[in-house]
Amino acid sequence: MQTTILDILEDLTASDEVRNNLDLNLFETGLLDSMATVQLLLELQSQCGIEVPVSEFDRSAWDTPNKIIKQVERLS
Amino acid sequence: MQNIIEQIDQVAKTYPDRICYDYLGSTHTYQELKTKSDALSNYLKQTLPKEGPVIVYGGQKFDVLVTFLAVVKAGHAYIPVDVNSSLDRLKVIAEIAKPAACLALETLPEIDLDLLVMEQAALKAQMNNTKAVADVSTYVSNQDIFYIIFTSGTTGQPKGVQISHDNLLSFITWMNQTFPKAFSQTSLSQAPYSFDLSVMDLYPTLVNGGKLAVLPKDVTANFKDLFSWLPQLKLNTWVSTPSFADICLINPDFNAQKLPDLNYFLFCGEELTHATAQKLKTRFPSAKIYNTYGPTEATVAVTQVEITQDILDAYPRLPIGICKDDAQIVLLDDDGKDVALGQTGEIVIVGGGVSKGYLNNPLKTRQTFLTYQGRPAYKTGDLGRFDAKGQLLYAGRKDFQIKLHGYRIELEDVDQCLSRVSFVNKAAAVPKYDQNHKVSQLIAYVKAENHHFTSNFQLTQAIKQELKAVMMPYMMPNRFVYVDELPLTPNGKVNRKLLLKEVNGDA
Repeated sequence: MQTTILDILEDLTASDEVRNNLDLNLFETGLLDSMATVQLLLELQSQCGIEVPVSEFDRSAWDTPNKIIKQVERLS
Repeated sequence: MQNIIEQIDQVAKTYPDRICYDYLGSTHTYQELKTKSDALSNYLKQTLPKEGPVIVYGGQKFDVLVTFLAVVKAGHAYIPVDVNSSLDRLKVIAEIAKPAACLALETLPEIDLDLLVMEQAALKAQMNNTKAVADVSTYVSNQDIFYIIFTSGTTGQPKGVQISHDNLLSFITWMNQTFPKAFSQTSLSQAPYSFDLSVMDLYPTLVNGGKLAVLPKDVTANFKDLFSWLPQLKLNTWVSTPSFADICLINPDFNAQKLPDLNYFLFCGEELTHATAQKLKTRFPSAKIYNTYGPTEATVAVTQVEITQDILDAYPRLPIGICKDDAQIVLLDDDGKDVALGQTGEIVIVGGGVSKGYLNNPLKTRQTFLTYQGRPAYKTGDLGRFDAKGQLLYAGRKDFQIKLHGYRIELEDVDQCLSRVSFVNKAAAVPKYDQNHKVSQLIAYVKAENHHFTSNFQLTQAIKQELKAVMMPYMMPNRFVYVDELPLTPNGKVNRKLLLKEVNGDA
């Protein structure tokens, strides 16, 4: 699961930094924006089979690779 | 309507207590807009040099709107610069525009702009000087420049598009005729003021006494906030890029049951895809959805078409519509001659709405602005053709046109064909150049759909088989590169320039 998520993130951000530092803030660093977040959610849906309730999507709970992994584990 | 500013004043006289601006529940009336802009304009007249445009630096706030109106009431053009702009951009704009002043409604970055700067506290104090009365004689009117919007400038220097009062009046008049009921209620105001899409909601709403419901960037950036605010705005009319609608569509609650007052969708700024429009039509079956098209240089938009189910059924790629009455669209070939009916040519916009050119940049102005049969005209660099029904069809950018073995190929055409293949999710075609700067290969970058093939080779064969049915053989890509995601620009479009670099290096 973790590998899949990091693969998705690496593709979206075009940066391998997401693997090296799992506590990297993806929004503050400009690696993710709203459009990329939409892509992320669609990829998580198709590759990990999880539905993220977007109306509950609080950016601060999804802003590092570690937090995203935790969220996906919680939702799967 | 003779004068846009006087019309907004008139709304304030007729409906002083009506709300014009709703920033997440913090509201302001038309009376307040008038009183404050009158007061500030008085002060600006006393303190500013007589000539020169004025930079207004800030975000989507009521005080910024007040300042825009105060500037044009004082007889100057305003240049909106968004608070999220880079330091460099602000500097470059100040250098090009040689403005009379910079009015800063947010704290300016610590740089020496070498010009008169008025800070937020002083400006606010002047807005509250209720004794001041506006003087209609100095209002921007006729051919005076109303606003100057700087293009994003992907290469080199940004260009300041000068929009006159009459350019803007031409746009508003057309909007009023085409969408008579859309802007007297509540309109979404989402685009930053430095992007001319914002003009599509701002002025049509203000001259009609409607309400601007603001969705600032820090709300749209966080989906939880975005989706909790959206139903509270009670929107009637939606104005945005298709990309922003795509963001909202990931929420299943973005539909007519949850947003029952939303009756109009107006899109501009980038291509409205069939997929996005069809999704919206399904979610909002009785709402009217419009595709519009136009460059900043011709004042926001000049064509429109309602995307009905019939249009969706008839057009795999949506038309951009019919030109407004006081302008004309001609399609010219490389020699500047009109193309034959049904043929593709460069879209040239003639007449009402066409800017007089770029601020302090005669060279770039001469390259793209011209006179066509005695009227001002602008060469868009976009390609288009008219179909039998008179609908204008967008056919890609002129600068993404290549020649391969003598054949003229539109890269976006190739993308379109690729995207119709069942195994393709998203794709972009990129030319590979040889040492003589001629195209030697066409490479397709493809994000594939899930498939059962055991090798990329098999997948490529299957894609080519489907492609044969939809494209000319000379358009067939030579190589297929499979990627998990295509790189996007900040606007959400495929970043072809990045792919070009990957294929050809920096040369």
